[in-house]
Order: sequence, then C-alpha cells, then structure tokens
Amino acid sequence: MNDMTPTREQREARLEGMGCKRKRVEDVRFTQGKGQYVDDVKLPGMLHGDFVRSPHPHARIVSINTEKALQVPGVLAVLTAETLKTVNLAWMPTLAGDVQMVLADGKVLFQNQEVAFVVATDRYAADDGINAVEVEYEPLPALVDPFTSMNDDAPVLREDLAGKTEGAHGPRRHHNHIFEWTVGDRDLTDAAFRKADVTIKEMISYHRTHPSPLETCQCVCSFDKIRGELTIYGTFQAPHVIRTVVALIAKIPEHKIHVIAPDIGGGFGNKVGAYPGYICAAVASIVTGKPVKWVEDRIENLTATSFARDYHMTTEIAATNDGKVTGLRVHVLADHGAFDACADPSKWPAGFFNIVTGSYDFPVAHLSVDGVYTNKAPGGVAYRCSFRVTEAAYCIERGMDILAQKLGMDPAELRLKNFVKAEQFPYNSALGWEYDSGDYHTAMRQMMEKVDYAGLRREQAEKREAFKRGETREVMGIGISFFTEIVGAGPSKNCDILGIAMFDSCEIRLHPTGAGIARVGSKSQGQGHETTWAQIIATEIGIPSDDIMIEEGNTDTAPYGLGTYGSRSTPVAGAAIAMAARKIRAKAQMIAAYKLEVHEDDLEWDIDGFRVKGLPEKYLGMKDICWIAYNSPPPGMEPGLEAVSYYDPPNMTYPFGAYLCVMDIDVDTGVYKVKRFYALDDCGTRINPMIIDGQVHGGLTEAFAIAMGQEIHYDENGNVTTGSLMDFFMPTAVETPVWETDFTVTPSPHHPIGAKGVGESPNVGGVPAFSNAVNDAFSFLGTTHIQMPHDYWRNWKVAKELGVVG
Amino acid sequence: MDMNGEERINAPIEAVWRALNDPQVLRACIPGCESLDKTSDTQMTARVVLRIGPIKAGFDGMVELSELNPPNSYVISGEGKGGIAGFAKGQANVSLTEEEPEVTLLTYVVSAEVGGKIAQLGSRLIDSTARKLAAQFFSNFGEHLTKTIQEPHLASA
Repeated sequence: MNDMTPTREQREARLEGMGCKRKRVEDVRFTQGKGQYVDDVKLPGMLHGDFVRSPHPHARIVSINTEKALQVPGVLAVLTAETLKTVNLAWMPTLAGDVQMVLADGKVLFQNQEVAFVVATDRYAADDGINAVEVEYEPLPALVDPFTSMNDDAPVLREDLAGKTEGAHGPRRHHNHIFEWTVGDRDLTDAAFRKADVTIKEMISYHRTHPSPLETCQCVCSFDKIRGELTIYGTFQAPHVIRTVVALIAKIPEHKIHVIAPDIGGGFGNKVGAYPGYICAAVASIVTGKPVKWVEDRIENLTATSFARDYHMTTEIAATNDGKVTGLRVHVLADHGAFDACADPSKWPAGFFNIVTGSYDFPVAHLSVDGVYTNKAPGGVAYRCSFRVTEAAYCIERGMDILAQKLGMDPAELRLKNFVKAEQFPYNSALGWEYDSGDYHTAMRQMMEKVDYAGLRREQAEKREAFKRGETREVMGIGISFFTEIVGAGPSKNCDILGIAMFDSCEIRLHPTGAGIARVGSKSQGQGHETTWAQIIATEIGIPSDDIMIEEGNTDTAPYGLGTYGSRSTPVAGAAIAMAARKIRAKAQMIAAYKLEVHEDDLEWDIDGFRVKGLPEKYLGMKDICWIAYNSPPPGMEPGLEAVSYYDPPNMTYPFGAYLCVMDIDVDTGVYKVKRFYALDDCGTRINPMIIDGQVHGGLTEAFAIAMGQEIHYDENGNVTTGSLMDFFMPTAVETPVWETDFTVTPSPHHPIGAKGVGESPNVGGVPAFSNAVNDAFSFLGTTHIQMPHDYWRNWKVAKELGVVG
Repeated sequence: MDMNGEERINAPIEAVWRALNDPQVLRACIPGCESLDKTSDTQMTARVVLRIGPIKAGFDGMVELSELNPPNSYVISGEGKGGIAGFAKGQANVSLTEEEPEVTLLTYVVSAEVGGKIAQLGSRLIDSTARKLAAQFFSNFGEHLTKTIQEPHLASA
C-alpha cells in the first residue's frame, strides 16, 4: 500500500454511515423553499373544493338548498350526502371498525362537521359558494362531558347504530358506548389491593389536544375517465394504506389508483387517517372530469381532523410500606367524539395503552378502557407517540409521584426501587408485553448524577423555607419522568390495519457505476429519512450515503409499506433496509469470490468491499462489484444488483429514557420558568446523533406545549373555543426552553441493527416531566394532583385556591 | 352569558313603552341593524350586521315580543343565523318604572348564546362584545327617545 491509499478511518468517514452526524440532505431543498408540497401541485384545469361546515355540535338537518350556490359565478358543483349516496360513499369505514359520515347524513354530530362540498374554479369562488348554501338545522342537545355520556337520559348521538348491542370490539352497554377493553388479571389485582399496606387512587386526565402540523391536511385528486385511473396527491403518512382503502371503498381496481405523497410539512399522527376531504375531492373529480384540490385551513385542521388524547384515567397503585409496588389498577374513560376514528392497529381499540405498567416490575395489574361517543370531532390519533403510549406514560409517571408523596419517599428513590432490572430482560409485563431490552438503573443514575439531583433537592428545600418566610414568591418544582415506550408496530401476529399486516419494506437497486436508489415503504414528514436510510445502506454495503438516493411516497414505485407513525420507521422499515442491503451484499460476495478466485467463505467484509482472509492486498470494492454485476457477472448468475425485503418484526422495540425538569412558578401570576430540562434517551443503536438530537428537541417542544397549555377545549354548548392559533398554544422560539440531551445505548436484540426508534420518545417522556414539575412545585402546600394543561391562568387558580396569592 | 343594566330616560312611561314596540325605533337603536320588518303584532324579521373580533357577519333572524305587560314589561327575544359565521340568540327581560312623570327607569336582564365560528374565534371577545352591544342598544334607545321628546318631528324617523 502506498501513501495515497486511504486509511480505514478515511474510508469509513467517506461512507458517512451509521453513527455519523451526517447533515440532512433534504434540507438543501427545504431551506431554499424548493420543497414540493401538495399545495404546490397545480394541474391544468384544476378546480378547488371547500366545505360547508356545521355551526352546531348536534342538530338535525331539515334541508339543504344548493340552488343559490350553483348560481355563484365559478361554482360548478355542490356535493351533499344525497349526491354521495348515488355512489355509495355518504359514509366511510374508519380504521377503528366504525363508520363515519363523509357528508352529514340527516344530522350533524360535531361542530364544523362537513355538510356539503362546493367545487369551483378557484378557492374564492368556492368560499362564495359556501356562503350561498342554505342549510336549515334543528338544534339538538349537545353531549360534551364524557362522564355524562352513559347516563340514562344522555342524548342519542348515533342513530345509525340504533339497536346494535355489538360493536367492532365487543358488546356495547349504552347507546353512547363504543367498547370496553380489558387486559390483565382482575382477581389477582383486587387481591393485591386488599393486602396492600398503602394504596393511592387518583383520576388523572390527559386533555384533548391536536397534532397541528404546520402543513394542514390536503390533497389533489385527478380522475382520468379514458384510462379509468385515479391519481391522488396527498399529505399521507401511510400512502399504501390510503390506496388500499380507496380501492376497497370506491371499487376502483388498486392498480388504477396512484397515490403520491410528496414532501410533507409535519404529520405527528394527523395524516394517518382518511378524511372526508379526500373522498369528496375524488368524487368531485370523477363528477367534473377535472382535477380537484382540497386544502384545509388552520381552523378546519384544529377542529375537524383528528384530535389526540382525551383520556380520563382513574389510577390506583398498591404498595408496601417501604415502597415496593404490588399492583396497578387503571380504568380509562376515553372520549372518542362522534365517530370512533382512532388510528390504532385494528385489534387494539385503546392502542398499546397496556404499556401502562411502565418501567416498573408490577407483579399484577388490571386495565379496563371504556370508549364513548360525544358531540366532538372524531380522531384519537397518536400525536407524536406510539398508539396511546403517551397517555399510559403520563398515567403511570404521575401515579408513581403521587405514591411517592403518600409514602413520604423521594420519587427517584421510589422509581429505582421498582424498576425492572437489567437481568430481567426480556421481561414479560403483567399486561402482556415482552420488553426486549433495557437498563433502567444505569440510565436513571446517569441522569441523577448529571443534573446533581441531590443538590437540586437541597436547593428546593431551601427555597421552600424561604417561601414560608415570605422571602420569595416563587415555588420550585422538580419533575422526574422515566418512561418505557413500545414502538415499531408491528409483528403480524398481533398488529394489522383493516387486515393489512404491519410489515414494512425496502427495494434497493444499485446502478453499474456504484450509485443507487432505495425505495422504502415508510414516508418521511420531516424525520430525515432521505439522510438516515442512506446511512444504514452505506454501512451495510459500503456505498457512500451520498451515492444513494432515497425515494418514498409513490405507491407505483415504492414497495408496499405501512408508512410512518408510532416511531415504526426505524424499527420496521429500517430493518427492511438493512435486510435488503444484506441480500445485495450476499450477491456481491459471490461476485467477489468469483473475481478474486477464492471460495466465498474465504472472504471478509472490510468497510466498502471484500478482502481475502490472510491476503489483505486481494480486495474488491463495492463500486467495482456494481460494474461487474451488470457487465460480467459470474457464469450462470443473473446480471444486476438489486434486492427487495419485506420485514415482519418478531417483536416491538422498547425505547426508554430518564427526563428531568426544573421549574419555578410565581404564585402571584402563575407564570412559570423552565430553569432546566435534561433528557436522556436510550433508543438502542444510534444511526445519526444529530438527527436524534433534532427529533428530541422537536418532541420536547411539543411535550412542553401540551403540558403547559395546548388544548382543544369545548365550552358547555359544544363550541370549540381553541380553534385558532390565537387560543391554541403553539410555542415559538420565545417560549421554548433550552434542552440538554444525553443518551445510553442498549441495542434491541431482535432488530438487525439494534435500533429502537426515537421520534416520539421525547413527547411521551416530556409531558409527565413537565406536569410532575408543576405538581412537585405545589405539593408542599397540600396538593396531590393538578390536572393539565398547566398554563399561567390555571397555575394562578391553583395558588389562589391554596390561599397563597399575595 | 348574562348581563344586566339600567337606563334612565327622560320620557313618560307610555312613550317609552310605545317606542319599545315600534319597529322603526328598534331598527334605529339595534347596533348594526339593517332592516327590521313587522310580520305580526309581536313578530319581526331582522337583518343585523355584527363584528366580533376577526369576524364580520350578517345575521338574518326573527325578533319576537312576548310576556307583554303594557306599559310595564316585556320579553324581547331574537335568533339570528349568520351562515358560516354561526348563530346567535338571546333575550332581554325589559322592565319600566315610572320614577317621575317625565322620567322612566328602564332595567334589563339579557341572556345570550352564540355558536359556530364566532364562538370559536371570538370566545375571549364575546362576553365583552355582547355587554357592549346590549349597553349600546339601551343607551341608543334612551338617547333616541330623549331626542324625539325634544324634537317631535323625529318621532317617526
């Protein structure tokens, strides 16, 4: 070897493979305004559709008169439920086994429900058309409070379900009841509570909020009558599922439907489901023979498409006097709104809420969830979390703090005492999950050391004394959260969406010159897949990540995948990418063996090519192998170098983390200051530390928003009072605290590269850390549990009720 | 929301009562009222343009008088639909007391409810706007009457 030969480090660095802080390649276009979003799609002759929406939360529709609207210049058509009935599309199936009105059929069940769809030559004409549609309503009493939904005299919301005592998930007890879901051993759990030294019981609410991505939901549908083909450009987190659903409900052959998800400006769960806008735009395109665009405005997005949370969790923990937990009992009242449109794997009506035992070794547990209808928008999506996992983490992390308070124990000490131990993995939880790997004690102790936990508690004790002496008006809170997530849905043995198993896929095609393209069944909404997927391939097959193009979102070219949500991309699609790459490497090894005239077993992989064992100068690089694969493959071998992998994961992955928030709250104004926020994440193997940091920053910012004020609030008449960004808290750089990040690495034993997924961990772990900090700040004044969100006004009300406002 | 208030009017109770039943007077005094037409002795149709926060909308609705106890009290209620802006309804219990022969005390208790987009966007503004509108109506009314007493040619304006 001469001096010009690159060193191993240089060859490694040139690949920019796994573990490298590779800059995001997609940002080249995003930061220059060159992204191509759905609203950038402009087709010749394209029309615009917009909705007439109900001002009432619950009303009978007496009549809809579209005559005047059709006379508005530019208005070409007005769709109503009656129009849609002619093509059998007035109702559509939901992902949760319910049905949902596409356009109001006979009555409306939530404010801003879609009533009619006006199609016009431009958006302004459509808006004028909307104003001219005359709808006569007969208002009915609105059901807003889920706790009264199953009263005997509660109004009947879903007349279409009259007499149906069996729903998609078992028996219904009441006309507003959707399902009851139970897990765990009730008798053993009840027995544990009877024997317990100490028990706590608290109703912990996780309020309704909304994913509110920067780009709202939208689509362009174009039906070609001659070819009988429907093309849909849309903001879809799961384009293939959308294509299959359209094929099933619109009865168009699946190969004649082209679904294209271009660049997406944030999803956070909002863009998983199918919405009336998609159906109406498609029908309008079929009716008019022209492309039809539908773009939600901000109010429509916040009030009509896919809320999140709204779980009311009665939480009980049994424990011994010295703080060992002996049982967990949780009952959830789940407010699903007017239709059960939760985006969960089909067999899981409450998602993976049975991860609620968290990071703790509960010997027994029992969980029951009742889903109910109210006059609110449908949804129940996983807003930057795996399905209902953030609700579960909030429930158990608040519960543990409440127990610590009752025991007079430090909340960190209580957690350390009850963690599942490293040697217990794989660990079978009392509610049925097999945790793949973890080392909770190490992560917790690293966090406590880095933040000087003991020092913080001393500072707090001093501050509390100073408060009592009247020397300060601020109370200090320390919020701990130690969460275990369950992500990567999921194994076909227990996960499907409408019968479609939740695998994912990758197809890699290398070109003769040693560059290539990889198409993946996932769909980035900002996660940086174009960067990280190429890094996995670079490490696996030794082609620099800059030479691999990543393509997602076009159902004609991408292999079938279930898309991106629930932190499933790295656990599932990431595994498919590694497996496809390994198939390529296996073929490359055969080629190298032939060319180097040795047996395959005599070769070893060396960063970017194969080397003959014991003869380091006999080497063939991947770039050369690509050329050979096409132009002079070994006799009998097919030319080309490409591979496809469909990956059905054997288990979920279980990322975890230790978070801590330090907060001061002024009791006279309720104003809080986040003094410090530390987040340690263990997501297994780390593909790109810079992107992980970015994901954690984003997730923590959303957690901060949710815990400290972001809410979809309904008044007692069923009006949404937080329907715009004036009232719906969206933190900017001004409000957002500084984030400190840290990590440990406990690889997943069953994942090809040991990665677990990270995008949603900070939202799951962040919310309880903030809420625990607020609760911890006030606890010495006598509070046990303060409901979220903790905005200034509510903090001030708490202080006022405690009698400490000066 | 509920609001109440009072207005002292320099006019005899009979004149105040007549004005309270006169669509032309009501039209002149209801803030933003573009039309008010009698359809029966106790019913009128109205069009009112209102601005609450970012929303300006025309409301078409019905106004009805009930519980008439001349010249002492009645209930005036209205319901208006503002298309995509939403809807509003409300009623006012109005009572008159003769303080002096030429001075009448008008007291009112108003309850109002709004729904739709105005309720969503204007939630923080609705209470104050409704209070302002109610006060404005009754002060317009007082002013109008005082003027017509002083300048009778305006009576049918």
